[in-house]
Formats: sequence, structure tokens, C-alpha cells
Amino acid sequence: MKVSELVEKGVFKSFNDPGDKEIQGVYISDMVSDIIGIGPGNLLVTLQTHKNLIAAANLVDVAAIVFTRGKTPTEDVVALANKAGIGLLGFEGDTWTLAKKLYELGVR
Amino acid sequence: MTNIRNGYLVVEGCFHCRQRTSFFSQEPVPPQDDYREGDHFWSYLGSSQASKFDLRCEECSKEVPLKDVMALMLCMRCDPECGVYKAGSGGREGKTWVYVALCADTSHASKGCITEPGIRALNEYFNRGTQDQPKKIVVVSCESRKNVDTCEGVVLADVGLTEIY
Repeated sequence: MKVSELVEKGVFKSFNDPGDKEIQGVYISDMVSDIIGIGPGNLLVTLQTHKNLIAAANLVDVAAIVFTRGKTPTEDVVALANKAGIGLLGFEGDTWTLAKKLYELGVR
Repeated sequence: MTNIRNGYLVVEGCFHCRQRTSFFSQEPVPPQDDYREGDHFWSYLGSSQASKFDLRCEECSKEVPLKDVMALMLCMRCDPECGVYKAGSGGREGKTWVYVALCADTSHASKGCITEPGIRALNEYFNRGTQDQPKKIVVVSCESRKNVDTCEGVVLADVGLTEIY
């Protein structure tokens, strides 16, 4: 599934252009030191909204990032994500609820 | 990626010579003691959660140890005269992202830095399988950096973990 197709489901808030990358998997983590070990194409689900996270997400070429529990990134974080072509999405519920929702939507 | 170790990146400074050094600690609480080492008086400056790793080729299983790499840092392109900035200039404008591999000897007093095989392996590893084809990740050693004190970069370490809520 592509990120744009996921956004069309109407579950997420978009903080920028979500892009059209293929979602090859999902990875849930709040630690930059953990994220740098994942492969490319993952939908990254996290509570963290700082710049370090964008820097790590760009390095490992994530498909997009979803911030759970209604977390909102600051303007400078969105600007860095725009530059990196990383879509930033928001989800009001908690991470477990999102995990179930993603599965229901067909993300594997 | 192999031999992943989680711990703390600890940065120390010498008030006598103003040099900086860093080390990786896997202790549950990173050491913060001041101590003397030869002419240096090392004091704790800060720490953040980080991880160290080595790289292994999936085809031939050859391992490239990255014991000298303390952390990676995204260059924010602050100084056109800096060697790191120049590494991101050239083709693929706006699509090249330069990350600096930081070694322990921040001031490079020992004249050593990350090994060339390590830098080569990091470049190959982080450029595998991108969907965004014009995008390129360039990893350079921190000895390319012009000035450690004025450098603007985003270090890939876990800062602000207690600020989630």
C-alpha cells in the first residue's frame, strides 16, 4: 500500500505532503538509537516529534512517520521533513489502537 | 547491522586545554566523575542514550567493525567553507544528505578518526534500497568538519526522552 492510499482512508491528519512512497512494513519506536537499525520503506509510528527523529528517519528512508496520541511537530521539524520528502501524519489515539487500525486497513 | 549495543554517548571536556572527548558507556548509569589523565582534567559535559553497531555484508558475511564511531550527525549545512558542507555540494542538489560519523577524539588531538573501510561500509549500508532514487546519503568522517564549536548538526542520539509528555 502507498502512503497516499493510506491517507485517503481518512484516519490521519496530514502535517505536510504525505508523499507516495510504498509502505513495506511498520516499525514502532520512540528511540532514535533504535530507529537507525531498521530497513527502508517502513511506516514509522512514534510519540517523538523532535528533529533528531527526522534526521534518523531520513537516514533509513522511512515511507512516512505517524505521530500518535495527537502529538504535533513544530514548524522547524515539519520544514526539515518537507526538505527530506518525509510525510508526517497524526493520529489522535494511542499506538496500540493505531497498530490495530493499520492492520484493519490492510497494512502488513 | 550487527553487534548492536545500547548505552550512552558521554561527552567530556578538559578545562585546561579545552579539548573534547567522548566515549560509549554500557553501564546502567553513565559515569559523570571528573578525573585527571596526564595533562588533561576531564569533566563530564553531558550524555545521551545511543547505540553502537557494526556492519556485516549479507552476501559474504564480512564484518566491518565500527568501534570508532560514537554517533552519526546530520549536517545542517551551516558553513560553505566546511568540508562536510562541500561533501553535499555537487550533483543531486537538494537530494544529497550528509551525515558525519563522529569519533571519540572530538578535537582530533591524536590525529586519528574513523577508518576509511568504516566510512565506505556506512555509505554502502545507508544507500541500499531507497525508493527515492535521486536521494543520496553521504557519510563522511568528522575530521572533515571545519569547526567543532560552530558546527550545526543534528546528532542521532536519544535526547529529550523525558520530554515526551
